[in-house]
Amino acid sequence: MEIEIISFGQITEFINNQKIEVDGITDTDAFKQYLEDRFPALKGLKYKLALNKNIVQQNTEITNQATIAIMPPFSGG
Amino acid sequence: MSEKKIKNIFVKGPIEPAFIADSIAKHSSKTAIGGHSIFMGQVRKDEIDGKFVAAIEYTAYEEIALDKMHQIREDIFEKYPLHCMHIYHSLGTVKTGEICLFVFTSSAHRKPAIAACDEVVDRLKAELPIWGKEIFEDKTHQWKENS
Repeated sequence: MEIEIISFGQITEFINNQKIEVDGITDTDAFKQYLEDRFPALKGLKYKLALNKNIVQQNTEITNQATIAIMPPFSGG
Repeated sequence: MSEKKIKNIFVKGPIEPAFIADSIAKHSSKTAIGGHSIFMGQVRKDEIDGKFVAAIEYTAYEEIALDKMHQIREDIFEKYPLHCMHIYHSLGTVKTGEICLFVFTSSAHRKPAIAACDEVVDRLKAELPIWGKEIFEDKTHQWKENS
């Protein structure tokens, strides 16, 4: 299935916005594992995912054409 | 879910003092108000390893940020007897000494306005997907972290 990845903050420095084709990934926990394997720089960082514009609080199912944002800790204000 | 009217909070570049003054002036016709509380965030010239911060460049995941801000706004109105609340946050480059955040709450008496203003600032910093990139005078950068 196709997933669109968008990144923010510090993570934009090593993950570009892109569409990827993945198989066998059905939930956000598996997706995190995939991301950390593919982008090892992510491993040492704190980050949250947002699935289709909702911040992921617990493992959530991913469906085709999902948009997943990778967000480091917030630093507004 | 009830109808929601999502207000924009983002301003491109710094928040001008004249905009803040104008915002205060607009409240003179709201005569039930007896107390205003204002918080303004200003970009600080921090020194890190001998280098000084020249500006902060802000980016946000705007859709989520505005949605979150809407929830915070509703929570705060439910919790405190406020007449009104205005919130503005910069996006893009804000130089040291310039204003990047403006929170303005008003109530009949001062205490709810002060408490609400404080709580909005805390929640906004913790919950809104906004990122600050500190740009040093020599153009190098580091990513801001909220303590």
